[in-house]
Amino acid sequence: MSAPRAVGREVERVDGVEKVTGAARYTADLKFPRLLHVAVVRSPHPHARVLGVRTERAARAAGVRAVASGRDFPLHTGIYLKDQTVFATDRVRFVGDPVAAVAAETPEEAAAGAALVEVDYEPLRPIFDVEEGIADGAPLVHPDLGRYEVVPWIQPKAGTNVCNHLKIRKGDYEGALRRSSRVFENVFRVPQVQHVPLEPHVSVARVDLAGKVEVHTSAQSPFTVRHLLCACFGLSHGDVRVHVPYVGGGFGGKAGINLEPIAVALAKRCPGRWVRVMVDRHEEFFATVVRQGLTATLVTGVDRHGKVQAQKMHYLWNCGAYGGYGVNIVRAAGYTCGGAYEFPNVWGDSIGVYTNRPVGSAYRGFGMQEIHWALEQQMDFVACELGIDPVEFRLLNALGAGKATVTGQVLDEDAGRVDLCIRKVAAEVGMDPARQRRPYSGKGIACAVKAPAMPNDAASSVVMKFAEDATLEVLISGIDYGQGLMTVAAQFAAEALDVPVETVRVRGCPDTDLSPYDWQTVASRQTWATGNAILRAAEEIRRQLLATAAEALGVPPGELALARGTVAHAASGRSIPLARLVMGYQFPDGHAIGGPVSASASYLPEGLLFLDPETSQSAKPVAKWTFGAQAVEVSVDRETGQVTVEKVSACYDVGHVINPGLIRGQTYGGIVQGLGTGTMEELIVDTTTGRAVNASLMDYKIPSFEDVPAVLTAEFVETPQRDGPMGARGIGEHTMIPTPAAIANALFDACGVRIHDLPITAEKVWRALREKERGERERAGAAGVPAAAPAASGAIA
Amino acid sequence: MRKTITLEVNGASETAEVEVGTTLLRLLRDGLDLTGTKEGCNEGECGSCMVLLDGRPVNACLVLAVEADGARVTTVEGLSRDGLLHPLQRAFLAHAAVQCGFCTPGMIVSAVALLRDDPDPSEDAVRRALSGNLCRCTGYRQIVDAVRAAAAALRAGEGAPEPPRRAETRPTALPVREEVPA
Amino acid sequence: MPSDLDYRSPSTVDHALALMSEAPGGAFLLGGTDLLPQMRTGRRAPSVLVDLKRIAELREIRETADGGLSIGAAVPLADVETHPLVRARYALLAECVSTVGAWPLRQRATLAGNICNASPAADTAVALLAFDAVVGAVSSEGRRTLPMSRFFTGPGRTALRPGELVTDVVLPATSRGFAGSYLRLSRRKGMDLATVGVLVGRSDGELPPRYRIALAAVAPTPIRAVAAEELLEARGPKAAAEAAELAMDACAPITDLRGSAEYRREMVGVLVRRGVAMLERKARP
Repeated sequence: MSAPRAVGREVERVDGVEKVTGAARYTADLKFPRLLHVAVVRSPHPHARVLGVRTERAARAAGVRAVASGRDFPLHTGIYLKDQTVFATDRVRFVGDPVAAVAAETPEEAAAGAALVEVDYEPLRPIFDVEEGIADGAPLVHPDLGRYEVVPWIQPKAGTNVCNHLKIRKGDYEGALRRSSRVFENVFRVPQVQHVPLEPHVSVARVDLAGKVEVHTSAQSPFTVRHLLCACFGLSHGDVRVHVPYVGGGFGGKAGINLEPIAVALAKRCPGRWVRVMVDRHEEFFATVVRQGLTATLVTGVDRHGKVQAQKMHYLWNCGAYGGYGVNIVRAAGYTCGGAYEFPNVWGDSIGVYTNRPVGSAYRGFGMQEIHWALEQQMDFVACELGIDPVEFRLLNALGAGKATVTGQVLDEDAGRVDLCIRKVAAEVGMDPARQRRPYSGKGIACAVKAPAMPNDAASSVVMKFAEDATLEVLISGIDYGQGLMTVAAQFAAEALDVPVETVRVRGCPDTDLSPYDWQTVASRQTWATGNAILRAAEEIRRQLLATAAEALGVPPGELALARGTVAHAASGRSIPLARLVMGYQFPDGHAIGGPVSASASYLPEGLLFLDPETSQSAKPVAKWTFGAQAVEVSVDRETGQVTVEKVSACYDVGHVINPGLIRGQTYGGIVQGLGTGTMEELIVDTTTGRAVNASLMDYKIPSFEDVPAVLTAEFVETPQRDGPMGARGIGEHTMIPTPAAIANALFDACGVRIHDLPITAEKVWRALREKERGERERAGAAGVPAAAPAASGAIA
Repeated sequence: MRKTITLEVNGASETAEVEVGTTLLRLLRDGLDLTGTKEGCNEGECGSCMVLLDGRPVNACLVLAVEADGARVTTVEGLSRDGLLHPLQRAFLAHAAVQCGFCTPGMIVSAVALLRDDPDPSEDAVRRALSGNLCRCTGYRQIVDAVRAAAAALRAGEGAPEPPRRAETRPTALPVREEVPA
Repeated sequence: MPSDLDYRSPSTVDHALALMSEAPGGAFLLGGTDLLPQMRTGRRAPSVLVDLKRIAELREIRETADGGLSIGAAVPLADVETHPLVRARYALLAECVSTVGAWPLRQRATLAGNICNASPAADTAVALLAFDAVVGAVSSEGRRTLPMSRFFTGPGRTALRPGELVTDVVLPATSRGFAGSYLRLSRRKGMDLATVGVLVGRSDGELPPRYRIALAAVAPTPIRAVAAEELLEARGPKAAAEAAELAMDACAPITDLRGSAEYRREMVGVLVRRGVAMLERKARP
């Protein structure tokens, strides 16, 4: 193959012109004749028994065309654990739990109808905290947990609030702890946060008079939506058709299934009518899904050389009211619990706990930012206590080729180089231990690692075909909700067949009736999985083109080359442009050969093995790892506690940069989203009422233009992934994983205070500084000497 | 209560009968099918619905359609003409400043207003002027670059809308000469 | 919103008042940036909106006979903050205005609307309080003026009578030329309500100078810290720390999403000290 033409180049987004002109249509932009509007009746109680739902008055109200409620739809759904019905049946489990819904001719009539639905509740004691949820005698959020259908690799505990528990048992933790020269223990907490995609969730459905269900939805995974809709309505996959137009951000919140069942339930009640369920920004915060909360307790035992020998991770996940998706976050956090480090002896427990909070689900990073918040601060803490430079301490303990993860997987040469990432970002922000220091200014680092968390058989497939003018069409069902998949797909196709990228059209708004299967757009898996499928399909396309051209030119296919939109025979100097081949070749006498050129191909990760149910040991539990690191520089206002992040430098080993502009965008975007969860975001639930009290963009702030650090840098290491397309591996989620921990570590470096509970707000820093200064004054008073360097807390050695 | 209003939208006069409570955003999206203007929050916090109202950037969700009676409205659809892109649209593509694209139209409309008032904005000026436009994907960095690059292009007299790249490249993308076998 | 909601856009103040007297459940509409979201959440449900933006006299910024500046009720904040006379004579007001929402919001929002909404965190109100601004109001009973110091009566409440409308806000000539800063803490740098806002101003070219300290988001209404001002006037900037204590004593903050009462109170002290120090730095560059 000749030099790169499309891959590795800053190709402009193939969906860009549509997006900058306003031509791109998102679900709410689609027009449907005589569309019905929906209002959802939601539980005002965090936990209550539903004694009765009366919908008769609502059904008779002006403009109301359909009413649906709980007991009519008894089937459960959920991607891994089927623990949720379309509407609450006998019990509501969070404020916002759907109880019924009304479809009417106007939004106002729908709202008026919904107000007439009468629900009798018997309030039950709610639980909001994980500690409360796992306590003996805690009220059960799901008394029927033992009867729910579940995939074999998720382990709910019937009769408790534990929806999954993954154990890591590697080596001899207890023995190694006893032999450790020093031991450190800390607790870190992460609150629930929300994804805040700019486009709120919206789904439109119709059941036609023949019974076929058609859905247009803002979702990350059309085929999984279809699959789960079939589960909750008892339908055949053959009778459900899902379309996904452009999607205005998802970040995991539009993975799995969301509003689609409510739309379909109502659509079934008024066949032939289109029904649209749309949440407003207020509902988006608590009635869709949120990121799970975490309480992490970490114990680290080190030897005299500063090598970690014993590492314990105890993760309690606040899964909220339903865990259908969240149970797999619990699992992923378990088998990744050691982060980017080699720990020889590990005791890990990752436990998912139901509570009466909003529903926890996937969020960019899938648990990884949360566990790195704990682990990367713990590593910093230990380094500081040992008097070792945090960069050196990380390098000493980092994973790499030949080293074993917490599941005992020994990494190959192609696994990626976290050590190089650490060195590069440390150099970029100037973390030399001998550096000049300024008061209340500090630098910190954190590493990141993540693997795709998905079923072992999660597959992607593509179809490639030509239009008459040799425009190459690539049909994919991965969703480009901003990350650039359509562009990357065009680049792979153009590269593989040596056609100009401008002649490729990626059909990236899938229709499950017509598009090739793809499991889900999650897990940073699309560039890798769809990319591999495209390269395979391209090989078949090439074979067909060369076979027809060989016959046309009367030469062996092996003597032909496909280049620059032409099949050429070098020896004779003859060539045929693709436009004369893609629909079949016609000889001068009129007879034709070949036929429309097309191919389909798929990719399924190979060689993945289940985890051992007791120890989670496995030689290949995941398809690939992506490692990276970020370093940040902060300044702290001593009197107000305000932390200004001045600079963030990121470096990831991505295998192969496919598109520099897009990957920088992923990196900067991830950093700033990480800055949001790091410094300002928390969905606050009032534990007396169960209501989310800051469910608006006025009260829940995400970073704005003015919050972005003055300097952002992005660098990449390219250690090719053996089974990656042209060596590439995933990067979408990884960019937001280490940011909060790196900021926390820089804060400690700046002023000696450590914030254990996200987010790092000015007021928390101010309190910590005040506490520290008070402590210093007291010690100085007691000892009669000036205050010493920052004291650490939590060491139990 | 319904009222009849007339306004100029992207250069065309439009007359519509609207409920008093109908926002300009609803009228544009539902009545005129100008769906480039997005509804992100309906509370004036996200900027996805930014339009120019008599030249001023405003959140269309905070303006009633009746308030716009007699006004001149420009939406993102009014920025490109005859398939030719506005320099800001061009720059957003060239600087990879677009991801999911939901905030993009509002972002570009705000930037049009900024560059009209300040042809050479500093980085800080861009950040301040666009702080009413939220983006969850890009981290804003490339948007700042795009706006400043477009400002430079406009200052250099490259104000005329440009064709999208696809239209430029398509006719020449494939060889037209064919060499048939003997 | 209700389907019987009516909208009128009179071109004179008299007509506006007449419309409102016909419809006691009505509301005057200025920028709508507070009113429309409140109507959407059901907090307010007027029967008719009387839009004041088409009344020419309310759209003016003009000098008063005695050298003050009258800012019409319907002038958008963006026009206030960029107006040459505001910038030259009442720069601190321009600074406060520029912290309200974002630039597009300020194309609609107005000074009068901001104070009529009577948020404890109203950024513009601190400058108006500091400058002893006077609110011009008119009702069917006639015109009157209300000093800013008596305008707010509680969170979301003002001294306006039902059916009374604000015509303008007048900045007196005696408040020209104050130097100083509006220091503000918020959770996010761009477009956020103040957690604490502190204006520290000092008159230029007078001996002894007059001081102004006004506070946002630390009491049921925006307030002046008069005792702190008097102390600084009596003892000068060296009394900054004691003035800061007096300002802290003047506030009565609550704990909410944006910060605790304790933090807010402490920050008032920090920001008053800083504001005074900044005056010194500005005076002696």
